[in-house]
Amino acid sequence: MSVIQNVPGLRRFPVGPLWLVLPAVALLAVFFLFPMGRLFLLGVQDPATGAFTGEHYSRVFDTSVYWRILAITFRIAILTALFSVLLGYPLALWLSRMDSRRQALIALLVLLPFWTSYLVKTFAWMILLGNRGVLNTLFMDVGLIERPLRLMYNEFGVIIGMVHAMMPLAVLTMLPVMNGIDQRLALAAGTMGASRSQRFWLVYFPLSVPGAAAAGLLAFVTSLGFFIVPAFLGGRGQTMLAQAIITQVQELVNWSFAAVLASLLVITALASIWVYNKLFGLSVISGAESDDLPKRTSLLRTGGQRLLRFMAWVSAPFDRFRSPDGITNKKVSIYPLLALAFLVAPILVVFPIAFTSSNSLQFPPPGYSLRWFEQYLTSPVWISATLRSFGVAFATAFFATVLGGLAALALARSKSLWNGPIFALILAPMVVPRIVIAVGLFYLMAQMGLVATDAGLVIGHTLLAIPYCFITIGAVLKNYDWRLNQAAETLGAGRFTIMRRITLPLLRGGVVSAGLFAFVTSFDELTIAIFISGGLKTTLPKQMWDDMFLQLNPTLAAVSVVVLAIVTVILLVAQKIQK
Amino acid sequence: MTKTSFLNLSRRSLLAAGAVALATPMLTRRSWANESLVVADPGGPFADGYRKAFYEPFTAATGISINGVARDAEPTAQFKSIVETRSYIWDVCTLTLSARLILEEEDLLEPLNIEPAKVANVMPEAVHPNMLGTDVYATVMAYNTDMLPEAPTGWDAFWDLDRFPGRRCLRKNPIDTLEIALMADGVLPADLYPLDLDRAFRKLDQIKDNIDVWWTGGAQSTQLLESGEVDMIAGWNARFQAAIDNGAPAKIVWNGGLYSIEGWGVPKGNPKADLAREFVAFCAQPEMQAKFTDDLAYGPTNLRAYDHIAAERAAILPTAPQNLQVMSLASEPFWKANRSAITERFNGWLLS
Repeated sequence: MSVIQNVPGLRRFPVGPLWLVLPAVALLAVFFLFPMGRLFLLGVQDPATGAFTGEHYSRVFDTSVYWRILAITFRIAILTALFSVLLGYPLALWLSRMDSRRQALIALLVLLPFWTSYLVKTFAWMILLGNRGVLNTLFMDVGLIERPLRLMYNEFGVIIGMVHAMMPLAVLTMLPVMNGIDQRLALAAGTMGASRSQRFWLVYFPLSVPGAAAAGLLAFVTSLGFFIVPAFLGGRGQTMLAQAIITQVQELVNWSFAAVLASLLVITALASIWVYNKLFGLSVISGAESDDLPKRTSLLRTGGQRLLRFMAWVSAPFDRFRSPDGITNKKVSIYPLLALAFLVAPILVVFPIAFTSSNSLQFPPPGYSLRWFEQYLTSPVWISATLRSFGVAFATAFFATVLGGLAALALARSKSLWNGPIFALILAPMVVPRIVIAVGLFYLMAQMGLVATDAGLVIGHTLLAIPYCFITIGAVLKNYDWRLNQAAETLGAGRFTIMRRITLPLLRGGVVSAGLFAFVTSFDELTIAIFISGGLKTTLPKQMWDDMFLQLNPTLAAVSVVVLAIVTVILLVAQKIQK
Repeated sequence: MTKTSFLNLSRRSLLAAGAVALATPMLTRRSWANESLVVADPGGPFADGYRKAFYEPFTAATGISINGVARDAEPTAQFKSIVETRSYIWDVCTLTLSARLILEEEDLLEPLNIEPAKVANVMPEAVHPNMLGTDVYATVMAYNTDMLPEAPTGWDAFWDLDRFPGRRCLRKNPIDTLEIALMADGVLPADLYPLDLDRAFRKLDQIKDNIDVWWTGGAQSTQLLESGEVDMIAGWNARFQAAIDNGAPAKIVWNGGLYSIEGWGVPKGNPKADLAREFVAFCAQPEMQAKFTDDLAYGPTNLRAYDHIAAERAAILPTAPQNLQVMSLASEPFWKANRSAITERFNGWLLS
């Protein structure tokens, strides 16, 4: 491939490494930028004459509704990102301290809720959090409360559902970074007299910040486009912008105004990324070297160091409760178990329902049977949807990891002025609500004859997955020691050999995480599937949605259980192969 | 322009083909033996109901095979793209009345040219030049019979917090919700349109804080009623029937219900439009429409279908005479003209 041949030019030309980003940029230009540009043009055109007009945009300023919805969207996304990182950090830390075999096994538990469709998870939360739900019944039986608590149909319910959806993402983003931190650093600090708190807050924590920052941004940006969770677990006051956009596209068929709202979301998301860049530096995510960071953020840095010293001072009195290494705390390992229980809770509801003898999602089930599995396994529609979903997801995982990984490598080494725009472009599919991408993509693919083809699905899903792969691999690259490459080079290794023997093995954790993210993104993707499949090439979430839209029945739960079983086997096999 | 000339040409030739087809059924049967149509329905139980009622009988009668696929909830965006990019992945698709108006305005629907004799017994509201209604759904109230002290008989009960204590649920959408508020305030169904918005929102203000849940998806409304999460809820009859069929202690109040119609439309310029028309006309027959009521709690539009439906089943269908006469048709033209502005106002009201 020309890409690899270009690698030797890496240091000779300043733009050299940027060539690696080309495949991803080309894909995004054709299947993302172009259709989006066409769609956004609608926002400034008169639908009848095609003349330029500002009337659609002026509508946003006529009322405060959309600004209020925008504010709610931001609030929910920020809270989700905050709690996902806060709750996920100790869990990731706990995992990173395990030996790799045990870590891989427990990480499966973190992944487990990830493999359950958003639709099914949301319904599981409805069963758990309802007025007569599992939790309220439990609390009342124990005598903890007298009246049912309002656990959902409000902001609390939305945050629970969204944090649950985003926490695995956060943990899996932080974990490779934490795995890359040299544990001996804390030890060294200890020999020089650092207390346990100081070892954590002044040595370990700063090294883990890139992972936490990447996780936070990832969760925040993904949350911006959510609509299923707020629709089902939210109340009167929880309307997110993606919902308003869907209403415009599907119910009112006002694509012009949908384009206006979408651009509102994209612009504000980009603005928040810009602010983030000013505060933390985007190099934190892209994995670029941070030579210039201290200058730009010296104030923040000083403040941050003061804060960390303060934290170390505050937590010092608790040092004697800690385990000798100053990082893990064996006595308080109850927290990771609670966090895991939170992540797995919906599965605990889905499993019994899959085996119910009833027609409904009643919990606990009145009796048990295998009828829903039978229904699933004997249905050609379900089986073909399952096979297609796996096939599309594997292809997506491959392409997205390769394209996103190359892009991350390129940006990590490049200091070009193009870095910023390229970075924004690669993250853009994450920011733009999927419904908007789906409409634009459907229009383009219909013209190209890609509608109702597997290739169309793979392309659409790869677009969505590239940002995740890019960020995950970028975060690992942050800790990558480029001098290893130079060392290998002096020993006579070629670029390709270095890539194969040095870079890839060191990045393995990140690459595997990226592949998994891409797989899940595709495997659980509904919106694009609805449009691109045209109902003819049905994927699993699409089939679930069709079933769920009109008639909720336990087949959904049975399908989830089968999928979980298959995926667990695949993951276990993958781990064995890796060894 | 090539596009227009193609359309003109195809329409003329299709008309001719259609005329020939209608005139010589024996001939067409043979000539269509290898033809097929892709028909998009809402999926789920619809797939079964429609297959038995329409797809299989049609294939048996004409030799044209039907490939039923599931479409999205509101297929207007896809419909628009299909016509504009001329990629006819669907030949026939189910539409709601509101979708029909939207698509008609953008000239995305093929005329159906159904002979009046074929739709003589079909409800007049279901027969349009570019759409044939096949089933009727209704927005009604359902209540939990275990939780309410007495049976409510109309929407005023929904506002009566003293006589009917219990958790309440409305759809997070102005459509039907505003009508419900006005009827609860004493407006007669015949006088609903144009809606008195100020009055409707004033009425909604009274129970704003007593609505425990605002539902957004049909399946959710089934779940809410079935799990006992709410005691009184406004929503679509078939969703509530699903909860009742699953054993939920619930009943439907038809009085004050608002019905609407769903049916077939053909994307403009479809090269298979003549076959598609044949299929649509076929679906007007009462015997066929009666068959889907086994799977779907929706009412046939051809009222003669009730000659073939057991009285017990008919009682839960929106177009059974006793149910239809206490309901009224929701006004799609009013909503078409005002939906955007009202949705905006409704969302603002929800958030304030």
